[in-house]
Amino acid sequence: MAVIEVCGLSKRFGEVLAVDDLSFRVGAGQVVGFLGPNGAGKTTTLRLLLGLVSPTAGEALIDGRPYRELPHPLRVVGAALEGSDAHPGRSARDHLRVAAGLGQVGEGRVDEVLELVGLSGSAERRVRHFSLGMRQRLGLATALLCEPQVLVLDEPANGLDPEGAHWLRHLLRDLAGEGRTVLISSHLLAEVALIAESVVILDHGRLVAHSSLEELTKLSAGAVTVRSPDAERLAKLLEGDGAVVEPLGGDRIRVRGASPEEVGLLACRYGAPLSELVTETAGLEDVFLQLTADVPAEGPRA
Amino acid sequence: MRRLLGVELLKLRTVRTPYGLLAALVVMTVIFCAIESTKGYAGTGGVASLPTLAGQTTVTTITAWAIILAAVLGVLVSAGEMRHGAVLTYSATPKRHRALLAQAGAAGVAGAIFGLCGGATSTVVGLAFVVAHGDAIVLGAPAMVGHIGGAMLGAALWAAIGVGVGALVRSQVVGVIVVLLWAVLIESFVGGVFPSSRPYLPYTAATTLAGTKLGGAAFGPAHGIAGSAPLPFVAAAALVLAVALSVGLVAAGTTLRRDIA
Repeated sequence: MAVIEVCGLSKRFGEVLAVDDLSFRVGAGQVVGFLGPNGAGKTTTLRLLLGLVSPTAGEALIDGRPYRELPHPLRVVGAALEGSDAHPGRSARDHLRVAAGLGQVGEGRVDEVLELVGLSGSAERRVRHFSLGMRQRLGLATALLCEPQVLVLDEPANGLDPEGAHWLRHLLRDLAGEGRTVLISSHLLAEVALIAESVVILDHGRLVAHSSLEELTKLSAGAVTVRSPDAERLAKLLEGDGAVVEPLGGDRIRVRGASPEEVGLLACRYGAPLSELVTETAGLEDVFLQLTADVPAEGPRA
Repeated sequence: MRRLLGVELLKLRTVRTPYGLLAALVVMTVIFCAIESTKGYAGTGGVASLPTLAGQTTVTTITAWAIILAAVLGVLVSAGEMRHGAVLTYSATPKRHRALLAQAGAAGVAGAIFGLCGGATSTVVGLAFVVAHGDAIVLGAPAMVGHIGGAMLGAALWAAIGVGVGALVRSQVVGVIVVLLWAVLIESFVGGVFPSSRPYLPYTAATTLAGTKLGGAAFGPAHGIAGSAPLPFVAAAALVLAVALSVGLVAAGTTLRRDIA
């Protein structure tokens, strides 16, 4: 059974259709990147998932039931939406004590999560004196406090320095290794590509892709650039084999519709020497940009 | 519910706002009490002479600021929640009316403490003036305790009303303005123009729970206008409770429907 199941979910705020007939499933123990440009509807979807926002249509289920019907929600789902929403006048420790009370876990757990996110030394500082990165860590500590099996994280790397981003990747890998289900939103594919197994890509509130990273990587494979003193003859041979060839000037050609292996074998068979054979990779980010550039908008973005 | 109440009380204990408001109410009560006591000895402003029972009752029951600031605290509790902590609170408590009820309960406890401090401050300052002038204290201890108890009840109920107002408007600034406008301006104006309506005005009724004479907690020219008799204690308490419940029910209805965005 899918841990997270979103079926035909829509949310309209007045004229704005923030989420449009969205459906996807996340299985137990999966780490899924939830991607889309700013304003794509990611945060609204996560709020719908957590029962903070009521859907206009459809439903979002966790463990087969709406969030609002979970008996101990914080023990099932740990959420960090847009960093920490802690009161700025409260210390980090007191914020977590409040969360511990709400989640019905012992206060001893507070010190454990402070240690886990590297905030032990700042536990007594008021949140207003925290940097954005420290607030993100506090948000993660709050999400992890009740040891939930499902984590919903909204742009958790925002505001983290490179060291913090590295730490976050390791933390999320460890959590995934423990069998937790993680749904992590981001507007940067490269950020989640290092930890996620699959991605759900959203634009203008609509699903534009739901695939494994492997499939997405295949999509990113592009043309093959060939350099040969016999480029003209090779081009004709490749075109005869069904490939599309674009002369790049001099002894260079770009080949589409043939893999590097196929180009190499053909050149070898007809004795055309090769001095360069390079696969042009569009890159995951390019694929992401391409996917999110093609969806026509219905009304203004959320 | 006890757990949620405990969490809300923990929230109040771990920020500075309640302590700041408590300090403000003590300062305001001291100032207003000193002014009224001075008037009582000067024979001005319609304050009865302080050696009399009426005069001592007036200066020991200046608890308007306890009630007003308890309501302000209530607004800050619920509207502040929308600003900071709503995701945590309402994702932990999807049955939102329970969270709102816990907020009203915690604000009520804090309001009762405000009432206690306001009543005690007014009693100490007022009687200090009496003693300093070499007059006898004619107000009995049971009356003083009753007035302080009434102040605690009135402030607790108005703190709960404040929670309802804050949940309705969802803005701390707007909520505080609404409470201040109602208590300081609207009730003073309506009570001054229609003195017979005074017993039924919720802020005025709450002040009479603390033993304040009807209209004694009005601001501006309305302060000196004599009116009808206050409602009996139980009726006044029931009136303020009914207002608190009504505001709370409307607030709960809207909080359940609204999105936490």
